Amino acid sequence: MSEANAPIGTIGIDPTAIRPAIEDARIIRVVPSGLRAELAALKGQGYAMLLDIGGVDYLERIPRYDIVYHLLKYQNGGTAERVRVLCGVAAEEPAVPSLCDMWPNANWAEREIFDLYGVTFSGHPDMRRIQMPTEWEGHPLRKDYPLRGPALERTPRPSFALKSNVGVGTPASGRTAAALQRQIATARGQTAPMPAADAVEIAQSGQSPGAVSTAGAASTKELSAEPNAARGGQLPKDGSK
Amino acid sequence: MSASGGADPDALTMDVVERSNNRMVLSMGPQHPSTHGVLQVITEIEGEIVTRAEPEIGYLHTGIEKSAENLFWTQASTVVERMDYLSPLSNALAYILAVEKLLGVSETIPERAQQVRVLLCELSRLASHCVWLGTGGIDLGAISTFFYAFDLRERILDLNELAGGARMHPNYLRIGGLRDDLPSGFLERLDGLIAMYPPRMRELRNLLQKNPILQDRMIDVGIVTSEDAQAWGITGPVARASGLDYDVRKAFPYCGYEQYDFAIPTRTEGDAYARFLVRLDEMDQSIRIIEQVRRHLVAGPIMVDDTKFTPPPKETIAVSMEALIHHFKYVSESFRVPPGDVYAAVEGPRGELGFYVVSTGENKPWRVRTRPPSMYNLQILKKIAVGELIADMVVMIGSLDPVFGEVDR
Repeated sequence: MSEANAPIGTIGIDPTAIRPAIEDARIIRVVPSGLRAELAALKGQGYAMLLDIGGVDYLERIPRYDIVYHLLKYQNGGTAERVRVLCGVAAEEPAVPSLCDMWPNANWAEREIFDLYGVTFSGHPDMRRIQMPTEWEGHPLRKDYPLRGPALERTPRPSFALKSNVGVGTPASGRTAAALQRQIATARGQTAPMPAADAVEIAQSGQSPGAVSTAGAASTKELSAEPNAARGGQLPKDGSK
Repeated sequence: MSASGGADPDALTMDVVERSNNRMVLSMGPQHPSTHGVLQVITEIEGEIVTRAEPEIGYLHTGIEKSAENLFWTQASTVVERMDYLSPLSNALAYILAVEKLLGVSETIPERAQQVRVLLCELSRLASHCVWLGTGGIDLGAISTFFYAFDLRERILDLNELAGGARMHPNYLRIGGLRDDLPSGFLERLDGLIAMYPPRMRELRNLLQKNPILQDRMIDVGIVTSEDAQAWGITGPVARASGLDYDVRKAFPYCGYEQYDFAIPTRTEGDAYARFLVRLDEMDQSIRIIEQVRRHLVAGPIMVDDTKFTPPPKETIAVSMEALIHHFKYVSESFRVPPGDVYAAVEGPRGELGFYVVSTGENKPWRVRTRPPSMYNLQILKKIAVGELIADMVVMIGSLDPVFGEVDR
């Protein structure tokens, strides 16, 4: 297998080449063109179960991606052996032959790698995203994909949250109810906010909670027309980081 | 919600998208009480017979693998616990075994730590199978089973809480050993559980095992042959009910499983009832292992004696400057793991739960890839559901016992 032992570029670190001697599985390295032949040979040797297909992005290494196959050889009552097949894939238009016709369970595993790494599997019957939403852009497990996603595409606040009466960062105090009342008054555009009143004072003033809510409902329409003015700058604007 | 989980959006705008002659395309789930989480099965039926079934997953994708890459080695074990939330300790153990192999300390883990790991993981398996039994009973209309099974599970979660401080995600296992020793009173409570288990299990078996309704619903439903199990990468109780007696605890022993005397329950029918019986037998074997651990529990340290990757003892921090610095470094920048890649697996309640971990020598893992047994077991649904009644699909999903935190990660 001279092709399989082709040297790996050493721009980036390659942990699989400098790993300590750990006996967890036999390790075979192949190139994409020799993958199916190697796995078919292994299947013929009794490695009949495809345990898992995973992917690794080494970013600066050449080839950039590793597709990692784990196979299991097991007969009832016998001993078990695992083998790991590492297949390096280049960064440009990464593609690997699919194994769906050899092992039906490769279907979802390959879709997952396509979804999260953008490596396509040629010959796959159903190559579409599996974990991320269909309309998603980008491949989240790539190392150059930011942890929290592209910041500009961060989900905007839902509309009900924009109308919230409670400003972001309202200080926690013992007089939360009073602070809330003040904020509600401000949000509803009442020129003279109620004096710092706790629940007892509201009850004593003779103004029933129902009256407050009807007055609020009337002015809510104005609020929805010009939400930004009513918010009074308490909520962060979309896009401000 | 914009998360459509990879399904074809045009085909899913209505529950019934096509109705011609006797053929109908139904979308079952993703919010459905019998799909054990957020599973959507797009089903084509003729009358009551399923002619095509396509499970759609991804509704619970939380990017745990990506999160783990951005956390310290010590912190990552906390997020991987969240994958299989019915058996969190198995996840943590598989990850920790992989890291310990990279560190080269697998052989030096103290005996007591190994025993407690086995003990807690078998308790987790029991608790997980209790959930399967309870919810599986509800799928078939057997409500009372749920209360019996969850009562047993609650006692196990109490033990979790006692040991780790939390019922569901105790985060009790550490790279190199355990966080703390077992608290006082734990073993007495454990003895109580061991004593109450046989009569409770007898009750559960009396309720279900010979129940003609249950047998009617389960026998010859969702047959997975031994060849299918091999071809579809199926492990765990589902494979063992199909005649494939593969069990990681026997095939690749870890944490000293080779010392314990237990059997691998195996059946050959491959139907839902066989899976039901295998899981019940497995619970009996788990309690057997727990009894043995309890009997042979040794005293001694619970953490590897290597200050490179273990925190200093709590009591020294207040009196020793070096210990305080060590603790600060340990918490604020963790430790480095030699570069390399490794695969380690445990026998989780659902099958071979493996972690392929890559280190580049930093204080964070470069890659934490999980081999999710639920995902591979669930995938065969599209094969076994075809030609069966739509009502039996609920039984099949229940008997495959997927956990969607793990399927979607």
